[in-house]
Amino acid sequence: MSIATRITGRFQRLKGVTSGYAERESLEGVLFALPYLVVFSLFLLYPLLKGLYMSFFDWNAIYPSESEFIGFGNYARMLSDPLFWTSVKNTVYFVVLTVPTLVVLALFLALGVNRNVKGKKALRAVFFSPYILTVSVVTLIWLEIYGAQYGLLNYYLGLIVANPPDLLNSELFAMPAIALTTIWWTLGFNFVILFSARQSIPGRLYEAAKIDGAGSWNTLRDITLPQMKPALLFVTVVQFIASFQVFGQVFIMTGGGPGNSTETIVMYLYDIAFQSHEFGYAATVGYFLFVVLVGVSLVNYLVIGRNDE
Amino acid sequence: MSNRSEPSVAGRIDVGSIRTAGVYVALYGTAFLFVVPYLWMLSTSVKPRDQLFSQVPHWIPSTITFEWYRQVLAGSIIETWMLNTILIATATTVIVLVFDSLIAFSLTRLDWPGKNVVLTVIVASFMVPAYVNIVPLYTLVADLGLLSSYWGVVLPLTAGPLGVFLLVQFFRDFPDEIEEAARLDGFSSLQIYLRILLPLMKSPLTALALFTFVTTWNQFLWPLLVLQSEGSYTLAIGLVTLTSTNVFQPGLTMAATLIASLPLFVVFLLLQDYLIDAVQIQGTTG
Repeated sequence: MSIATRITGRFQRLKGVTSGYAERESLEGVLFALPYLVVFSLFLLYPLLKGLYMSFFDWNAIYPSESEFIGFGNYARMLSDPLFWTSVKNTVYFVVLTVPTLVVLALFLALGVNRNVKGKKALRAVFFSPYILTVSVVTLIWLEIYGAQYGLLNYYLGLIVANPPDLLNSELFAMPAIALTTIWWTLGFNFVILFSARQSIPGRLYEAAKIDGAGSWNTLRDITLPQMKPALLFVTVVQFIASFQVFGQVFIMTGGGPGNSTETIVMYLYDIAFQSHEFGYAATVGYFLFVVLVGVSLVNYLVIGRNDE
Repeated sequence: MSNRSEPSVAGRIDVGSIRTAGVYVALYGTAFLFVVPYLWMLSTSVKPRDQLFSQVPHWIPSTITFEWYRQVLAGSIIETWMLNTILIATATTVIVLVFDSLIAFSLTRLDWPGKNVVLTVIVASFMVPAYVNIVPLYTLVADLGLLSSYWGVVLPLTAGPLGVFLLVQFFRDFPDEIEEAARLDGFSSLQIYLRILLPLMKSPLTALALFTFVTTWNQFLWPLLVLQSEGSYTLAIGLVTLTSTNVFQPGLTMAATLIASLPLFVVFLLLQDYLIDAVQIQGTTG
């Protein structure tokens, strides 16, 4: 709230002691806020606390009152669970495959479209449009492309190598295939944000650089990239958080297989919660995810915060 | 030969035009690769049976058939799913707009004890990732008896902090003079909210509405957990079950995905700028 409103608010209060203006404003304020506060507390805050509570129990999914308190049992189990560590490893692999590609490629495309190319708007639409699709639509299209027998990709791969692998049934290629699908699907978000960040760099900086005789490489290094740093950091962190929680693509395309080669953390969480009904243990894995992602967000706030000074 | 600087000028032009050509090739090449999946979906959806199962891809089918579209639409369950999805996405969007604008108004224009704490908690809740809460949320929705109910899908989706955060940024900049003038004219807070603030904040509200609609339309795991009968499915989850019962029917699958993505494509083509604005706003405020 601005100082002006605060002062007038105070003035109103002094003036309106008799009319009870401040009390009425407080009441109104709470009433206006109430509908959201109810859904927020009930469906966001309460589950967050309940998840922590559940993580200390061997939770009985059918008769919750018969759940057994086991302290840090679920946490100990998680840390010694090989499948959990496999899912962490696979998730990190997926993050490594997608995050740098999605940031760098989006940056290149954003800088390219920013030049005076023809068909700017059409290009923007093409790069952005997959982002509006449902994960089911995206994966079903790519399943047709990856199909081992009549798939599009394998035909063209077959022209280059003798026996192209069945990508989604290969422990080596399943995760990269899911990553490629994800890149097509979500690049548009990063592209739009980086494009708008590039557009908001003041033109006079480039004019000054031109007068100084700076080449295009120097301009990129000394003006474009530093000016875009907050946007690049934002995109990287949001992308990291999204990639770290990859689920739908894996669930539909491979179900975590072949072997456990595409089992990711959220896929694993889904399996223990809704296949094995081990809610307490699943809540524990959820909290692990929470701690990792909060850590990333905090580091991000610190870095961007320092950058803004 | 007579002018020594000539070759270097020509060289510079060449470097410039080669670079421009390179940019075009890279951009349009990538754009082409981006379009390929769409083209393949379209091509597959109108392909006669014999060409679907061919080792050599037929980009342009010898005859165009609408058989697959007819089959998808004759099943008509896809229309039910579309209706369900529209219902869920619309309800979520309306609730988000109403609840979020009410609290954002309260947080920026009214004075009440504890409001700074409330705002801090809401902003901090940004850090709660989507899937962390899924298990406790599921048990809560089950306890409330909302499993297999649309409310069970919608209400948790309205609890997100993004809209509040976004609107607070905009409502904060709303000029105090207008509010003061309205108060002097005897407007109540409700009147200021309804008759002055909302109409002036049309574009952030539209951006938020579009963003909410699209993300709700595309929800996958949450409706999958809550909705338990085929008739209540949304498009996103219905499509997957449809194809798992129709193995090796690529024509049918692609016709279904095309029909399913059509509504959002229409929204996208009509409101492209608003939608991109919404994403940009999210990027610059987040």
